[in-house]
Amino acid sequence: MTGGRGDPGLLDSMVHGSLGWLEESRDFFRLPPNVTTDADPNLTLKPLGELAELTQLIGVLHPRDEFRQTARGLFAFAWNETRDGELFAELIRGEPFATYPVELYGVFAQAGLRHAEADALVDTTTRLRGWRVAREDHTRTLGVLNAERRIGLRQHADSGAVLALTGLGGLPEPWALDRKAAYGVTHDVFHLTDWGRNRQRLSPELAGYLRLWLPSWLENWLEEQLWDLAGELLAVTACLPQAPYPAQAWQRLAGARAADGSVPEIGAAPSSGDRAEAFTACYHSTLVTAFAATLARIASDEAEAGRPAGDTAMAGGRTSCESETAP
Amino acid sequence: MAEQTQGAVPLSAVIADAATGVALALRGEGDPYALSAVLRQSDALAPAAIRVLGADVLAPYAMDLPGAPAGGDDAEVVHQALTSFPPGADASEVSVWTYRGLVEASHTLLSASARDWPPPPDAATGWVDADPWPKLSHRVSQLAALALPGLAPGLAEQLTARTDDLARGFVRAVRRRDWLQAAGLGRWLARLPDAPESLGLDSGLAFVRHMGGDDPRVTLHVVAARRFYGRGW
Repeated sequence: MTGGRGDPGLLDSMVHGSLGWLEESRDFFRLPPNVTTDADPNLTLKPLGELAELTQLIGVLHPRDEFRQTARGLFAFAWNETRDGELFAELIRGEPFATYPVELYGVFAQAGLRHAEADALVDTTTRLRGWRVAREDHTRTLGVLNAERRIGLRQHADSGAVLALTGLGGLPEPWALDRKAAYGVTHDVFHLTDWGRNRQRLSPELAGYLRLWLPSWLENWLEEQLWDLAGELLAVTACLPQAPYPAQAWQRLAGARAADGSVPEIGAAPSSGDRAEAFTACYHSTLVTAFAATLARIASDEAEAGRPAGDTAMAGGRTSCESETAP
Repeated sequence: MAEQTQGAVPLSAVIADAATGVALALRGEGDPYALSAVLRQSDALAPAAIRVLGADVLAPYAMDLPGAPAGGDDAEVVHQALTSFPPGADASEVSVWTYRGLVEASHTLLSASARDWPPPPDAATGWVDADPWPKLSHRVSQLAALALPGLAPGLAEQLTARTDDLARGFVRAVRRRDWLQAAGLGRWLARLPDAPESLGLDSGLAFVRHMGGDDPRVTLHVVAARRFYGRGW
């Protein structure tokens, strides 16, 4: 596969629909008063963190101003929900050795949104020898390393060594991936490339491996109507140098959209009319769709302009902590 | 053709028995191979089973082993299959190619017989370049019997250009637990010169055999990949 022009009309309609639905769903992203105590983080912090992660990227990188504006509005909303970062200081005081507050804080810190006390706390906790103890989930460790980079902390481990332990770094037999392993591979790519901002961090070997096998995986999980994973695989596809544009896969994902712009995680969206249920079933895949369509749109513009791979097209979106990859 | 006739074993069972006999012979086990022993001429379903298995019914004769030359009975039963089920005008590409494979194999491997073999029919090749990879993979897996040394050299050369696509088909087939398709594709990939390293073809073939070996045709393809191309274990 070689780089291919995408279908900007389709891609933009998907970003438009997804962002519109996310706007409409703002209230479901709001953090409850008990967020730092007994609320289920999977229903509170996780959705908000994912909203922030992906709208920050769209808000900076999407070629179309109206989408950037909408995404920035959502990102500002997310920061507001953290009470300008006060939330992170509270979370870290509550669980000083947990990684998730640092990972979440990194999303905002990369955009220059800082909280002095949170900064002071992470500066202390991440210096501990205990912070350097290897964690079981190597993909997650790549995420922690990326957060450290974003916040400007010292890397607690060598990212190359950690990558080698992940599902992507091990170059597993492509037929031996189950759903969980496939999600692991997509996140290895996202953390490694800072969610597509630094695609040149994918070595030629890894890029070649992904280029070869992504079509099979896409076909598999589109057949299973696992739209969420298919969206992530499309995002990974768009992270490749001279990214291919799998037109049919995009059309199939577009076909899974509901009239309101949401994309169900799997199969068809719930039809009960319960908005909270619909939110849980759709928010992640809808975010992923907007993210993937943004990356694909950028890749498509590059193909159009005939730019070489790995150039500075993404420079505007690079974080200030990326100096190790800068020329 | 009816799958089953009154009081007789179904065609699928006849095919399975024959495939088991071929696989045993390719592994060098059992009695010296004779097609006429695994598919008796008197069995009304023998020609149909041969037509389904195609060139594979003669695969043991393609082994570089002394002895066990094809017998006259084998030529008879193969000839009967070829004349009973020639591909019609509207036959699928797969059907024509399977037939052609059996004709080619008969010319080569049953050359000692005095039979007049039909000429190999023209078989379309446009699909090899044109099919999207999932469809291509499905078709090629159905032509696994043609992945024998020297058979259909033109097709093999054309498929070489689509090795990566067939490897993608193998991945998809394993993930779908379509072991027969996976085995057929794995066998072709064993024949082609440049199967991608990262596919893990050898362990993939072993995996498919263990997971799908209840189907004798799966076993046959994996054993053929091992016997003729040294792939898998």
